[in-house]
Amino acid sequence: MSSIYHGEDRVPVPPADAQQFTTVCSYCIVGCGYKVYKWPLGKEGGPLPHQNALRADYRTQQPEQAGTWIAPAMHSVVTERSGQRFNIVVMPDKDCVVNKGNHSIRGGTHGDVLYAPDRPTADRLTHPLLYRGHSRLPTTWNEAIELGARVIKATLDTWGPDAIAMKCFDHGGGGGGFENNWAVGSFFFTGIGTKMASIHNRPAYNSEVFASGDAGIAPLPSAYLDAKLADTIVLVGANSYETQSIYFLEHMLPNLGGGTLPLKQQVLPAEPHARGRMIIVDPRRTSTVAVAEAHAGKDNVLHLQINNGTDIALLNALSRLIHEQGWHDQGFIDRRTNNFSAFQQANLAQSLDEAVQLTGISKAQMMQAAQWIAKPKASAARRRTLFLYEKGLIWGLKNYENVASVVDLALLTGNLGKPGTGCSRLGGHQEGYSRPGYPGQRPPVNVDDVAIKGGASKVFWVAGCNPVGGTLNAQHFRAALAQRTALVNQALDATNSGSLDDKVAAVMSALDKGGLFLIVQDIYPTETAQDAHLVLPAAQWGEMNLTSINGERRLRLYQKFMDAPGIAEPDWKIMARMAQRLESLYRAEGKTEMAARFSGFTWTSDEDVFRAAAAGVKGAQEDYGDTTYAMLKALGTNGVQTPVQEMKNGMPVGTTRLYMDETRFTFIPAAWPGFPSQIQALMNDPRYPFWVNNGRANHGWQTLYDDARKPYVIGREPFPHVEIHPKDAQRLDIASGDLIELFNPYGSVSAMAVVTDSNAPGHVFMLFEHPKGWLNSLTTDYVDPATTIPYYKGTKAGIRKIGTLSGVNGQLTFIPMNQA
Amino acid sequence: MSDVSRRRFLKLGACVVGGACATDALPSLAQAAEGDDITTLRTTLPYPRVQLASIGQLTIGREQLTTYPDQASPVVLVKLGRPAINGVGPERDIVAFSRRCSHMGGTLNFRQGTGTLHCPLHYAMFDAQKGGLLVIGQATDNLPQLELEVDAAGNVFAVGISGLLYGRQANILPNSGTV
Ligand code: SF4
Ligand code: FES
Repeated sequence: MSSIYHGEDRVPVPPADAQQFTTVCSYCIVGCGYKVYKWPLGKEGGPLPHQNALRADYRTQQPEQAGTWIAPAMHSVVTERSGQRFNIVVMPDKDCVVNKGNHSIRGGTHGDVLYAPDRPTADRLTHPLLYRGHSRLPTTWNEAIELGARVIKATLDTWGPDAIAMKCFDHGGGGGGFENNWAVGSFFFTGIGTKMASIHNRPAYNSEVFASGDAGIAPLPSAYLDAKLADTIVLVGANSYETQSIYFLEHMLPNLGGGTLPLKQQVLPAEPHARGRMIIVDPRRTSTVAVAEAHAGKDNVLHLQINNGTDIALLNALSRLIHEQGWHDQGFIDRRTNNFSAFQQANLAQSLDEAVQLTGISKAQMMQAAQWIAKPKASAARRRTLFLYEKGLIWGLKNYENVASVVDLALLTGNLGKPGTGCSRLGGHQEGYSRPGYPGQRPPVNVDDVAIKGGASKVFWVAGCNPVGGTLNAQHFRAALAQRTALVNQALDATNSGSLDDKVAAVMSALDKGGLFLIVQDIYPTETAQDAHLVLPAAQWGEMNLTSINGERRLRLYQKFMDAPGIAEPDWKIMARMAQRLESLYRAEGKTEMAARFSGFTWTSDEDVFRAAAAGVKGAQEDYGDTTYAMLKALGTNGVQTPVQEMKNGMPVGTTRLYMDETRFTFIPAAWPGFPSQIQALMNDPRYPFWVNNGRANHGWQTLYDDARKPYVIGREPFPHVEIHPKDAQRLDIASGDLIELFNPYGSVSAMAVVTDSNAPGHVFMLFEHPKGWLNSLTTDYVDPATTIPYYKGTKAGIRKIGTLSGVNGQLTFIPMNQA
Repeated sequence: MSDVSRRRFLKLGACVVGGACATDALPSLAQAAEGDDITTLRTTLPYPRVQLASIGQLTIGREQLTTYPDQASPVVLVKLGRPAINGVGPERDIVAFSRRCSHMGGTLNFRQGTGTLHCPLHYAMFDAQKGGLLVIGQATDNLPQLELEVDAAGNVFAVGISGLLYGRQANILPNSGTV
């Protein structure tokens, strides 16, 4: 029997009087709406419509896509702090306009990751842990906060604010939201005042789309409706079937299949319409390419399989072709843009021959793409093209110019502020950013290099991320973290008095000698927490109320429906506790100015923080104005699209699409920059012949923090997979399922081979994050100097076969994922 | 009806390996067989024993479409030509699955070359050799697999199902008369 499955052959249905909540998926940017049903264990609804909360007749087979089927992964039994046990069902909401009852494997498995003491989530952090006796042992909040506050204060007083470094979530959805982000930002920026701040898997405190912002374009200007109306959708560096699954399935695919033609005719009656086309720029033939072709026909899908890192050359070549053909939107350029001549000199100067040679894309394919993007339709109507880009571009060769080159192409072709157009990042996490201003400059400081490896910081607070695997050049980061935290361990091990003062003194002497005091705040005992001195247990999605927006700025309330385990607390409360203790320590010393910096953390509810956080989004795409929890509760899973324009009859009025006015944008010049020296050195070294591309997979989310507790997910990917071409595999005697080693001067990692022709020979693709093999051990230390964003997507490595792990392969499937 | 103690062993065994034991043993909506131990099983459903084929009629790669455990549940039975998880027959290569996609119920098609089942709705793909494991797609569990038995004469019987059929609260519909 396969061990990789749920196996239940029945589920309990919620009784008619089950408690009901609305929420949104805790994972990706799409933000699918969900309903939660909760009822006491020992009760169950009946099969007749009036006997269950879904009003379904379970005596009969439900039709396909009925929205009434509870998959086993959507159900769990939880134990609350009172000891009471409840059934919980988390299922997609068919009344939500985002997903209409649809869900991905990620969102559809929420039942598996609710905390339950008798399931794999039993290892959730339930109590603070303190480094004691060469272990990490449970302690009270009081002791944890006291020690943390004393060390932070002593460090701040001795070395100043930059001696405190942080790496924290900054996103929406699970583990984030406006509430927690506002508290984190208030603590580190208003309170501490540190520049040594960085954002989850990145080395610095930056926007991933500075270039778009400089052009005057918010990161998420479009509506999902635009994907239904577009003539052409351009995906750059995005594998949306796997990473924005329901946006792709419910909004893009129907357009490609012709299903939205009536809508197009209704909304835009003055121009001819056809089924949508799709251009996909990706070095790999992904499942997205396969599914798009299967649905739309090969003639309506153009896959530009570019060489790693060459997006700028390709996008500028397309701009040049479009401009040469006269297909650009001169009216839009004149009326709505500045800086065209700088763009002309930089981007339009791209030689086509050089672009062909760099990208591996033929002139004919480039011309076809140019036509699909910009050749006017019959009756001279402009094509409506929606540009959607994500990590393949954002984490590509040079973040700033990469993003600029697609933004410029959108401006050249007038594709902003009109139905069916736009230039938007697709997004990874949901968004929920609201913080007081970051005290540093642009480009922001590289915290990994300066604060951690370089030793400039003495205290490092990591919240909701796992940098030992998620950051660039991670092997060196791990080594530095282990070495510096060990100095504090040794000092603490030598302290046997039991007095807190002695412990603080021991820590301070170790910090003085280059040690690092590590605080990890998370829901699970992460790999980073293995080096921590203080581990703070946080509440997750469903255990507090939170708010966030999705990829079309849809703001919703994610309701609390169960208790956090043990004495875990929401992140905002942990930050507030620490701030309040620091405030009182400073007040006791009569340092009123310092005390004032840590004042104001007096919120008593999730909504108090939500209201306070409104100050941090004023004028931004997230601006939610005077919106309250009660309003959001009434708006359910459809919420309101920010920015909120006004209140009408006590309810917020939102914005479907940005820039329907006469906003002016700025072209950002972006010429092909060539490869940085670190990559060139690898390119010139025959020991590292393989380009290593990387990314996420459909079934996994981020570091797999939840997935490691989802038997159906981790069971199918016990080790990270590497896609390798059959020719390369044959030469290296590698078969699917073999364990292989990838190595270069930055580090090495083992992984499981999948032999498939998804990549060109000489190119492999590895899963980005997996606790049993971190791809980032191979990434270089190169960052774009303009933005401090790494080139995660490109490194080079040598590969050798290690051997075969018996007993594993028989359970797994190695059928290539890119067929449909 | 299948042997209850055998089924209990299978279910609890898989539960330990998979590590995801739900301990809520609730009375079944279906007309479960009586008996004390029944309520502690994860499965209390009275599956019928139905002959689906006989080995002699099966050709490698050619699927047979039928239904189980009732007419509203389309299934596919196929001899893969290579050993499969839970496969029966002398080559352990005969398997059968629900044809309702375990994502949202689309009707699956079998593809011989890869031995995969494909959904036309959202393009989920399942590996028939690997217990119906999701190759890619948005389903949250394997394709429900039929538990098969072969008698001395080479007749292939379905005796149960592992995994919940799409569109049902329990694999045996209440009052469906299939007991
Ligand atoms: S597509 Fe994204 S938001 Fe929707 S269910 Fe999947 S992970 Fe959640
Ligand atoms: S119903 Fe089969 S993939 Fe969605």
